[in-house]
Amino acid sequence: MVDSSTETNEQTAPSQEAPERVLAATGVRRSFKVGDRRLEILHGVDLELYRAERLCLMGSSGAGKTTLLNILGLLDRPTEGEVEVENVRVWQLGQAQRSRLRNAKIGFVFQFYHLLAELSALENALLPAMIAHSAATFRSKRAGYTNKALEMLTRFGLAERLTHRPGQLSGGEQQRVAIARALLLDPPILIADEPTGNLDRATGEKVLDLLFEEQETRGLSLLLVTHDERLAKRCERIVHMEDGLIQADSRTPIPH
Amino acid sequence: MYRFFLSLRYLRARKTNWIGMAGIFVGVTALILILSIMSGFLNESRKHLRGNLSDVLVQPMLDYPIKGKGAPRRDVDALLEIVRSDPRVAASAPQMVWYGMISAENKEFYASDQERGGLAVANLVGIDVEAEFAATDLRESMLREPAPGTTTQRPADVDDPFAPPPGYQPRGFPAESIIVGERLGAAWGLQRGAEVEIVTATIDPESGRTRDPINQTFVVAGTFRSSHNSMDLERIYFDRRVLADWLGREDDAFSQVLVKLHDYEGDKRAITEDLGVKLHQAGFLHSPESPLFDEVKTWEAFRRTLLAAIENEKSLMGIMLSLVMIVAGFCVFAILSMMVSEKRRDIGILCALGGTPKGIMSLFLLIAFWEALIGASLGVVAGVWGALRIDSIERWLSAKLNFQIFDRKVYLFDHIPSVIQVTGVAWIVAGALVCTLAFAMIPAWRAAKLDPVEALRFE
Ligand SMILES: Nc1ncnc2c1ncn2[C@@H]1O[C@H](COP(=O)(O)OP(=O)(O)OP(=O)(O)O)[C@@H](O)[C@H]1O
Ligand SMILES: [Mg+2]
Repeated sequence: MVDSSTETNEQTAPSQEAPERVLAATGVRRSFKVGDRRLEILHGVDLELYRAERLCLMGSSGAGKTTLLNILGLLDRPTEGEVEVENVRVWQLGQAQRSRLRNAKIGFVFQFYHLLAELSALENALLPAMIAHSAATFRSKRAGYTNKALEMLTRFGLAERLTHRPGQLSGGEQQRVAIARALLLDPPILIADEPTGNLDRATGEKVLDLLFEEQETRGLSLLLVTHDERLAKRCERIVHMEDGLIQADSRTPIPH
Repeated sequence: MYRFFLSLRYLRARKTNWIGMAGIFVGVTALILILSIMSGFLNESRKHLRGNLSDVLVQPMLDYPIKGKGAPRRDVDALLEIVRSDPRVAASAPQMVWYGMISAENKEFYASDQERGGLAVANLVGIDVEAEFAATDLRESMLREPAPGTTTQRPADVDDPFAPPPGYQPRGFPAESIIVGERLGAAWGLQRGAEVEIVTATIDPESGRTRDPINQTFVVAGTFRSSHNSMDLERIYFDRRVLADWLGREDDAFSQVLVKLHDYEGDKRAITEDLGVKLHQAGFLHSPESPLFDEVKTWEAFRRTLLAAIENEKSLMGIMLSLVMIVAGFCVFAILSMMVSEKRRDIGILCALGGTPKGIMSLFLLIAFWEALIGASLGVVAGVWGALRIDSIERWLSAKLNFQIFDRKVYLFDHIPSVIQVTGVAWIVAGALVCTLAFAMIPAWRAAKLDPVEALRFE
């Protein structure tokens, strides 16, 4: 008990309510091979995301935000350091388990929507459930998922667009389908990399309203990257990143 | 679930997939057609090789060998009795076989030097009509439709073929009747009722010396068409007693006995051994152990070398066929590779949503599988349909193109032979599936190896 107490205390100590840590990067380094040289992009990043928290990651272009997000989203393996999802060290898991974790726990929203061009809006929104289940179980749960997706898409104002292909939708509509897709399996974590970066201000605002509303009602942990100061002000926690290092964190300020 | 769903969706959405499917379709169709027609040809060739041979052939040693020569065996009835006492034997027929030359006095023009000399080789076969009909298909040969471009001269009464032809006007002494091969008759302009002179030489069994040539006039009572080229061109049937008499042999002399079995495939091995032993004990044959004499054999053993050539041709065909499969597989490989490059972003998205590399791999393998399955199924339908109706298809095409694609005269076939081999078709389908999937492994594996971060980076 005494041996392990140090670590446990550090993790749960920060506040009295002891907010639950859902996603954490510890000492994450990431370097890429460019030609015959190794180029380090992340120089040891520590970042923790707590339950129901709205975190905004900012930083100039090339700071390594997307690189960090890919690592936190389990898409990329850090060269060094640990990534934990709900206190599970993900790189100690097998490939299949990690994929299952990504499917169940993390929702992605990308700058370029990334919908499948061959599927309708509704089918795109249902895709995570199709990936989660075998053909037989999906068939038995299909109605439930379809209702859920329909409900969300309707709420997002896409009731008339269900059978449309992504190519037939506007950017804002596509991004709303992408949000519905990300939320279908009720993941505790939502990662959004410049979700409004490709939209005009008004549309972006609407998409964000929607995103924040879902975040609040669901108690989601939202990890958002943006260049927009006004948008950042709407987040309870702002983290600044520069040259592959966390420079400032409004929650636990890092002295430098 | 998504693999199933997406593979079908991709299949439907990408038109290039239809090319792969069409490739497999064409490949399978062509293979089934080629296999069926080649099998048909080989079957026909086998039949031709068999000619008027019966299932089993008994060729006893010569009666009293002098200086390596001797006269044909006598006492045919005793031998037939032994053969016919075996319950596995359906029928048997004795034959007297000799060679002679046909003299073409009445020929209108000469095609070659030998013909100018007025002679052509003829294979003289003396038969017992009833026994011959039972053991061989001579009767059917006489009734067969003429080859395209010729007219047969059927005997007036097929069941009594050696009766003098109706309206026969002998030039001198009334001649004995013969039945000639259709092509021989056509080549020499022999109509039914025409007289023809046949020349031969015999050997004196006592001294082993050749006697002076003998010749005799015979009358053509009809022709037969065995569809076996050399037989139709050379063979002349006699009544066995007539031929024996002319050659100076006794009535019961014979050269060989044809044996027809009830169940050839089942009994062929056992019966050749049993007959060899029994006929040896009766003094007709050498000891079956003697390696020099091979007096009872199946028709297949008799035509061993040519049959081996056919089998050879079959395996060569198999090798060529598998090459076509590889081409179809390569087609799918190219299309799928293209698709993997095109769908890089989708692969990244699927990974981000929780797809595993294994799942991505099976997604692309499934696409190939659908292509192969649909292509091969349609190919089987088209191939079997085509193989069943190849003859009318060829006739229709020839008429449309105004050009004879398949010259039936060349092969002496009335129709394009074609045999659907169920196992062969099954092998082709299995081959198409395996080959396609094997080729699809490479792009599918590449897709699974794709780094999702790379794949997602912009468009
Ligand atoms: N696979 C890679 N190989 C080499 N360099 C890379 C690779 N991925 C990213 N980088 C480099 O890492 C740095 C950080 O990239 P990243 O995309 O994380 O920046 P960012 O903070 O998201 O910038 P932006 O705000 O423009 O999106 C960049 O200089 C980029 O060139
Ligand atoms: Mg970025």
